[in-house]
Amino acid sequence: MSGIRITNLRKSFGSYTALRGIDLQVPNGTLLALLGPSGCGKSTTLQLLAGFETPTEGEIWADDVLLSSPRGVLPPERRGISLVFQNYAVWPHKTVAENVAFGLSIRRLPKAEIAERLTRALRTVRLESLRDRYPSELSGGQQQRVALARALVVEPSILLLDEPLSNLDAHLREEMRFEIRQVHDLLGITTVYVTHDQSEALVTADRIAVMQAGAVQQFGTPEDVFERPANAFVARFIGSNNELAGTGEGEGSIRIGDRVLTAPDRSGVARGGSVSLCVRPSKVRLDDDGGLSCNSLPGTIVRSAYLGEHRDVLVDIGEGRTIRAFVPPERRYGPGAVTTVHLPIDACQILAPSA
Amino acid sequence: MGVISTSSRDAEARPVMARVPLVKAAVLGAVILLLVLLVVQPFGWVLFNSLHDDATGAWTLNNYARVVQSAELIEPLVNSLILAAATAVIAVGIGVPLAWLVSRTDLPLRRTIRVLTLTAFVTPSFIGATGWILLAAPNSGWLNTAWRWLAGEGAGTPLNIYSMAGAIFVCGIYTVPYSFTMVSSALDEMAVELEDAATTLGCGVLRTMASITIPLAAPAVIASFILSFIQGLTLFGVPAFLLTPTGIPVVTTKLAEFYQLFPPEIYLAAAYCMPLLLVTGALFWMRRRYLGRKQYVTISGKTRAGRQIRLGGWRWPALILALLVPLMSVFLPYAALLLVSLTRAWGQGLSWENLSLYWYWWAIFGNSETHTAIVNSLVYSTLGATLCVALGTLVAYIVERRLMVGASLLGAVATVPIVIPGIVLSVGFFAAYTRAPLNLYGTPLLLIAAFAATFLPIAYSHGGSILKGIGPELERAARSLGAGEARTFLSITLPLMGGGLVSGWFLVFIPIIRELSVAVFLITPKTNVMTTLIYNAKDGGNYEAVCAMSVLLLLITLFLVAVARPLAGLTGARRTSRKTATAAGVPS
Repeated sequence: MSGIRITNLRKSFGSYTALRGIDLQVPNGTLLALLGPSGCGKSTTLQLLAGFETPTEGEIWADDVLLSSPRGVLPPERRGISLVFQNYAVWPHKTVAENVAFGLSIRRLPKAEIAERLTRALRTVRLESLRDRYPSELSGGQQQRVALARALVVEPSILLLDEPLSNLDAHLREEMRFEIRQVHDLLGITTVYVTHDQSEALVTADRIAVMQAGAVQQFGTPEDVFERPANAFVARFIGSNNELAGTGEGEGSIRIGDRVLTAPDRSGVARGGSVSLCVRPSKVRLDDDGGLSCNSLPGTIVRSAYLGEHRDVLVDIGEGRTIRAFVPPERRYGPGAVTTVHLPIDACQILAPSA
Repeated sequence: MGVISTSSRDAEARPVMARVPLVKAAVLGAVILLLVLLVVQPFGWVLFNSLHDDATGAWTLNNYARVVQSAELIEPLVNSLILAAATAVIAVGIGVPLAWLVSRTDLPLRRTIRVLTLTAFVTPSFIGATGWILLAAPNSGWLNTAWRWLAGEGAGTPLNIYSMAGAIFVCGIYTVPYSFTMVSSALDEMAVELEDAATTLGCGVLRTMASITIPLAAPAVIASFILSFIQGLTLFGVPAFLLTPTGIPVVTTKLAEFYQLFPPEIYLAAAYCMPLLLVTGALFWMRRRYLGRKQYVTISGKTRAGRQIRLGGWRWPALILALLVPLMSVFLPYAALLLVSLTRAWGQGLSWENLSLYWYWWAIFGNSETHTAIVNSLVYSTLGATLCVALGTLVAYIVERRLMVGASLLGAVATVPIVIPGIVLSVGFFAAYTRAPLNLYGTPLLLIAAFAATFLPIAYSHGGSILKGIGPELERAARSLGAGEARTFLSITLPLMGGGLVSGWFLVFIPIIRELSVAVFLITPKTNVMTTLIYNAKDGGNYEAVCAMSVLLLLITLFLVAVARPLAGLTGARRTSRKTATAAGVPS
């Protein structure tokens, strides 16, 4: 097992720049999630880590071994890095056992050891009874577990997971993400997990790197990225969010249209620069007195949807701006009703648009 | 984050391991060398020769000047274009309605018509021409005889197969299967939903046809027209059998004539290839350009049967029309060939005493010349198809997986023979390999190489389409588990290609064994094959033997087609049910 160090990693394909210089440190035994929308560069990062692409600039190290640099790339087969693919990539012409044992036979291990490790790997993913089946006779979740066992049985120093759950149905996906976390806790292999699903990342990862436009927007623990987003993009991408664009007025205030609102300023943008006020819908309150520590705005209800656990209300606050609020379900609002929107100051943050 | 020691950060980055993959370099080198030998070199010689004087060997443009100026050389060009255009019109005019009837209506015997069309597809057209000589030669042709018997002795002979009309007819009916196959598969693959959508909006059957079905099938129709045109332009056997006897020259037969002159005008022949290449090249370019913009050609939906249009009272008249094509391209000529081949001496007429298998015995065992040709055909086709598929697959792999800089250039070279008519390739191979240092004239290798080169585009594109169905992740998974490139290819890619490669092999083997034009200048008595033997024997007057050889060639071909169809789908049937779903992959 080894830690990963990525320094100033850049990758261009012709005139298109997929990665604009990213730096990441993944300590030994950590599960890192690369989270971002499609086209953000997370898959490119993974291909570079696996050794299928050559970086345009920058380096990838595994502990003190240089894996990739523009001068050369250690070929994938010599990295000790296992990969699990989005579409499983389970070989259809091999049985479950043959799939899992492939990496072991490449290593020319003694037969007895292959058999023993194969059985152990199949037990880990609960596939012992299916060892002689062909992949076409397995469900999607079972194929995914074959792929996982095949990657783990060779005892890789690093495990890469490329959107491993996105081809599964919703129910199975929820179950499998706990399973992946469980396997990680059991084996402690340094893992990089690529996903566009924020809840997958929050559940499984020790660290999350939120990526967009080929750059890391924020690198931190799940709590960090949810509660203290580094910028408006991160706030928007993880969890529900209200975002009001405006200009920084300095000293924790932001001008939005003809109003000035107060909030902790974490933008690092100079006075007069463009910033956003971000607040989660679950923190927004309607009508009842918010007290002094609130930004209070008059508004009109646009629509209200009953979602069982809460009511999702959209409020027009004038000048074409709206605020979403999650309020207790027993509160009823009809379209057109006049209300007051309270944004608690300590739940608001002034953030830069994106890195 | 103390795991990563700071000392490694300071250490000057060591050059990353980049072992020279010896196997890879050797394979790439061999592929490039083979492509040069099989495609670049013969084509280069045609070009080189066309610029040299036959007598003095000096550089000259004289050959081109002669082609342009001499009326005697322009006439075959015009004839070729007439033949090609008429062939394309017949092929599309008959093939497209036939395809619609079979794919979209409740016509009876649809499966049978498909099978018969496939039979016509694999019938070498020069054998069809031989059959039609028996049927419609002036005076002696059976159909003429039958006509006289019906209409009286003075009725004359209405049919003359030795004419431009005759050649157009034979080229046409054997090109119908091309347009039929292309258009019917377009109709079969078309998403039914597209038509249903129009129906739910209130379109009737005819309106839906006119505004949805026909426009969607149009690219396939146009592509099949172009392909049929090229077919008519490049065919050698049919004009050689039907037009040369009456002195109507076309480009392909004129090329053969240059070789029969003494001294042969080989350099002029090379220049004479160029107009032909120009036209085929332009047509392929047009087809590509046209299809490139019509990406919806392959739009397909769920595999469920389309709505059948009820023909009602038209069912039986339509069936009779639909059966006319197989009647003329399969039943009549096959019957003629079979009957003649089964008579001891055709001149003595049909009688029980005259029926015998003598000529089959003679062809297979009795005559060393025919025996050799049969053995040669089988051996050369086997080796040629194997070489072709191996090379085509490797090139496709290199291109699909971008294994080297300029990989797509290799793909382009492997595709070039598609625009080179067989007869031109024959000229090229003759020029390249009948001189030192690579004098292969008289060796089997020359024919095997020429056959492989001719059908390389089929093997290459077939290999490419198989590889497109195998997601690169399946290979990458093996790489990340420690398998090198060669090992990955052998234990993952090759087994996954398995069934597809077998069908690809047959796809190449079948046209090789029936190929005539590319072999025409390359054979020697020792390296004769069945097709060239039939071609050379047709003037000898021994029609019984020619027919027996033709029937044997047909039987071998049809047998292989019958074997190939189930075999191609057989490999790993049990485990392939979800292969496409897994292997096709989801773009990440």
